[in-house]
Amino acid sequence: MAQPFPSEAWLNDFETLLNSDEQYAEIAKNWEGDFMFAIEPDKGSQDENMYYYMDLWHGKCRSAKTLTQEEAKHAKPAFILRATRSEFINVLTGKLDPMQAMLTRRLRLEGSMTYVLRNVPTVFDFVRCASSVGIVE
Amino acid sequence: MRDTSFRLLTVDLSSGEFSYSTIEAVDHMAYLGGSGLGAKILFHELTIELPPLNPQAPLLLITGPLTGTGGPAVGRLAICGKSPATGLWAESNIGGFFGTELRKTGIDGLKIVGKASKPVYLSICDDEVDIRPAGHLWGSKDTYETQDAIRGELGDTKTRVACIGLAGETKIRFASILCDHGRVAGRTGLGAVMGSKNLKAIAVRGTKPIPIANEERFGPLRRKANIALRNDMLTLAFREVGTASATEYWEHLGMMPKKYFSAGVFEGAEKVSGSQMVDTILTGYKACHGCVIACGRRVRLSDGVERKGPEYETIMGFGPNLGIDDLEAITRMGEWCDRYGMDTISVSNAIGLAFLLFERESLNDDDTGGLDLRWGNAEAAMQLVHEIAKREGLGKQLARGAKAFASQHGVPEMAAQVKGLEVPYQDPRGSSGMALVYATSPRGACHNQGDYYMVETGMSIDEIGIDFLNRRAGVEKVANVARHQDWTTVRNSLGMCIFANVESKMVVAILNEVMGWNHSIESLMETGERAWNLKRAINMRLGLNKDEDRLPKHLMKELEDGGAAGYAPPLDEMLKAYYDFRDWDGETGKPSKDRLKKLGLDWILPEIWEAQA
Repeated sequence: MAQPFPSEAWLNDFETLLNSDEQYAEIAKNWEGDFMFAIEPDKGSQDENMYYYMDLWHGKCRSAKTLTQEEAKHAKPAFILRATRSEFINVLTGKLDPMQAMLTRRLRLEGSMTYVLRNVPTVFDFVRCASSVGIVE
Repeated sequence: MRDTSFRLLTVDLSSGEFSYSTIEAVDHMAYLGGSGLGAKILFHELTIELPPLNPQAPLLLITGPLTGTGGPAVGRLAICGKSPATGLWAESNIGGFFGTELRKTGIDGLKIVGKASKPVYLSICDDEVDIRPAGHLWGSKDTYETQDAIRGELGDTKTRVACIGLAGETKIRFASILCDHGRVAGRTGLGAVMGSKNLKAIAVRGTKPIPIANEERFGPLRRKANIALRNDMLTLAFREVGTASATEYWEHLGMMPKKYFSAGVFEGAEKVSGSQMVDTILTGYKACHGCVIACGRRVRLSDGVERKGPEYETIMGFGPNLGIDDLEAITRMGEWCDRYGMDTISVSNAIGLAFLLFERESLNDDDTGGLDLRWGNAEAAMQLVHEIAKREGLGKQLARGAKAFASQHGVPEMAAQVKGLEVPYQDPRGSSGMALVYATSPRGACHNQGDYYMVETGMSIDEIGIDFLNRRAGVEKVANVARHQDWTTVRNSLGMCIFANVESKMVVAILNEVMGWNHSIESLMETGERAWNLKRAINMRLGLNKDEDRLPKHLMKELEDGGAAGYAPPLDEMLKAYYDFRDWDGETGKPSKDRLKKLGLDWILPEIWEAQA
């Protein structure tokens, strides 16, 4: 069922979906690295930053939660991905290729570029799963 | 304001005489430098009657106005002439430090004509020009050894040497010119032109400052541009993971050729990627003069020796193109090509064709001298590298290039080549823009004019109308490709690396402060279009037929699987639209009279239109 993005409900659905997806489990079986997604408000929006934390390990999501601004400030995940809400939605709706988004800094990656480039199939399958959650505008 | 006029040194190896001249300021600003100005300088000298390996055929080494200034990734030098590979316009550019050192001698270009009676090398140390014997190097020293030997002889470790190897000496049609232990002007066979002049090497050492018109204004701009470039995401990828950083991504998109462009999927892709190199053999990075990208690789193999690591084209050519997934073997084949002075793209392409014909039983054991040319056989591929350089066994046939080899075996449409130049490793079925680039580039199949594959992966340049379009788009992409070719021509002419993701307005600002010019983005784009059309005109004079603006059938056959499955670019439609956009005559392929006049190329009208009317 589609959920607003970003929201805790969307993240919960994504975690459930990711952990039940056999294709993702196989493709991402070697992935080791937690992510923080910093979702910034679009220009002109009054919203605040929202932070998702996902502990991704061997094809499963061991933990998914939202972080407060303070928690995000002290978090030390292997990877941080920052972008505006619109850019995240462009990726989640298939309008923007995730690798292209990272290489052009529309999604700003912090962490090992080598590791991400080595795991392109995992990146695409992660996005496939995320896209299937659906977004309520 | 400092004098930034273009100074050309001409050396006649037949007579031993040399002279200096200056290019008119108006031409300098209109053609910039590099291969753009090179085309202007050589236009009248390149004729259909003059064979590329004739002593009087000119060889031009030419810098751009930004070369060596410390601007963003601007350490490059172009080498131009007539190609022994294609019989057409030849250019190849090279990084490292040679171009910068050449400018520090006080010259911006070096034209070499004639032929020495015995092997020689040319030494330029500031204003001293010396032709020295090279008989002790000829036939015995590879390109790495030659550089070291000449530096030792001249007694100055800061001397930079550009040289040829065995392939150049024996005039193999894809012989390269190397400097700085592995920086290569690989394409179009200009190493053979050097060899035809009995010229083993050129050594340069200079102590003069490179002139900057407005140093005070240039300094802050240079810093700003380099900081931005250092932090650019592409730079980070190239520095951290190398030019093969996108291997897995390109495999996903279907832009990476496999098994000589005959397969859609290669299981071993991840074993030959830039990431794999980082995790296994990489020991460090290497940069050209003043470059913050540092895409060059240093690697250590099982023998414990640290050496140059391969870049994308070499990895793909000796890797997936041959079904090989062994980075160490790929590195060694690349190194042997460098030492012999052969272009890794053309060599691996020709070998790939032999592998494919072996698979399809068009070649048998008798043809190969017993070599088992099955996909993935790195030992056989290595053997062919040696045989090509020495013109032995099957290598004797392959040394004539893929086009001739395919024709010899009755399958001309199987050779992945355009106008006689072997296709590099961006599959046009994964990127329709590259189909048009290959078909229309002035030097044959070429990935450097432009590198439209970067646009296809999202690197749009919005401010000059180069948008990101679907990789399978057809005629709607044509204007994009043409503008990108013009912009790439500008950057090549300036001496700027194509990997440098620098905003166009910054490029214009830097150029104007370095040269004291008043170019705009629009006028700079026009210089790119001017040079593109001038090179087209040169090719027309050299006998190019517009029907050669095409891809072989092998590259237009749809693949069954992988990211490019079920697609072939609509090249005929794209070409027609491209001719219209360029204002090229549909019958002859020549740039129209009106367009030539508009671009200030009236002076070539008698040669292009009236002489053959």
